[in-house]
Amino acid sequence: MAMAALRREGRRFLLPTASSAPTIAARSAISNEESCLFGVRSISTQIVRNRMKSVKNIQKITKAMKMVAASKLRGVQIRTEASRGVWQPFIALLGDSPSIDVKKNVIVTVSSDKGLCGGINSTSVKVSKALFKVYSGPEKEPKYVILGEKGKAQLVRDSKDHIMLSVSELQKNPVNYTQVSVLADDILKNVEFDALRVVYNKFRSIVLFIPTVSTILSPETIEKESEAGGSLGDLDLYEIEGGETKSEVLQNLTEFQFSCVMFNAVLENACSELGARMSAMDSSSRNAGEMLDRLTLAYNRTRQASITTELIEIISGASALEG
Amino acid sequence: MTLNLCVLTPNRMIWDSEVKEIILSTNSGQIGVLPNHAPIATAVDIGLLRIRRNGQWLTVALMGGFARISNNEITILGNDAEISTDIDPQEAKQTLEIAEANLSRAEGKRQAIESNLALRRARTRVEAVNVISY
Repeated sequence: MAMAALRREGRRFLLPTASSAPTIAARSAISNEESCLFGVRSISTQIVRNRMKSVKNIQKITKAMKMVAASKLRGVQIRTEASRGVWQPFIALLGDSPSIDVKKNVIVTVSSDKGLCGGINSTSVKVSKALFKVYSGPEKEPKYVILGEKGKAQLVRDSKDHIMLSVSELQKNPVNYTQVSVLADDILKNVEFDALRVVYNKFRSIVLFIPTVSTILSPETIEKESEAGGSLGDLDLYEIEGGETKSEVLQNLTEFQFSCVMFNAVLENACSELGARMSAMDSSSRNAGEMLDRLTLAYNRTRQASITTELIEIISGASALEG
Repeated sequence: MTLNLCVLTPNRMIWDSEVKEIILSTNSGQIGVLPNHAPIATAVDIGLLRIRRNGQWLTVALMGGFARISNNEITILGNDAEISTDIDPQEAKQTLEIAEANLSRAEGKRQAIESNLALRRARTRVEAVNVISY
């Protein structure tokens, strides 16, 4: 039983004098012997103290991470709200038809690079996988474009061949429109698509993030749809100024729409990531605090128990001498 | 009758109010838009957008984008836009000089195109500050 206790307590139990008479060693040594002799009635104060120290460190670190995320969130939130207005005119002009059925779907998943941000990356990946199932069919096979390390790590496991392009370290410098438009350009050049589905977490509030899918159709699809009538049929009411053909204008329009929607998606996801990190670190530091309370109680109990035993020994020794 | 003009960029909304008339430059020339214009959708070039409001003309340097006009509602989406009062003339001139220097130093087709675009952008900003309002 002593050996089991030794193994359980873990490190630094090379006390050879475990079973000899208690000497004037450190109290911790006595406690160690105690635990070796009596099993796991009392945990050594040394161990509890070490555990308390590490839990306290964790609490400090997570609290600091929460404050960092909170301060970053403020700046990003302003920019996100400012960028929300820019994709609405596109919807007003081109309509929004998420249920459109096309052959070549490309799913663009926006995720974060760093971890410790709650469940947002898992939700994004879940939605992407669900979309993949929805759009798979006899002749059509959707492809992935992944932004961010965490999404890549999760999707590479089972959909490795379907990933066309993956980008990381998007957030190294504060996101700006030029960078995102270059990225959008890259994607448009390298990927054939009839419809692009951008999956990201929309930032509703610090505690609420909604996984969203934004659909962007390719110019050919839009032309087909507008000829077929429906919500996109109003497009023909507009005269095209400037000596370009309708398809050129549509191409420009969809490219611009894609880069605007990407910009908004990246910003919203960044906001959601910071908000999720804030709440994750907050609950983590609260947890650490509770653990610390429990450990403090255990520590005090152990300390008092060892004092009591020492007193008992002294007193019984003294009374043995007298009597 | 007035037009409701909305100028948006990915970073923020530049303008959102009623105006009497606007002049914007497309790649086939400048077009003026008065109330009750026919609905059009057009690409906007890197150039000046002039807005008339209360008898006064205001200038906005617009770096390309799209314009949609219908039912007296104008929506202009730009890659970037600056109101002329927000541009610092000295800084705009310096940017122009840097852009010109870059153009003469550009090697290869791609760099030439990029520095050309940068030059046009810088020139637009300088013009926005220098335009005489009448």
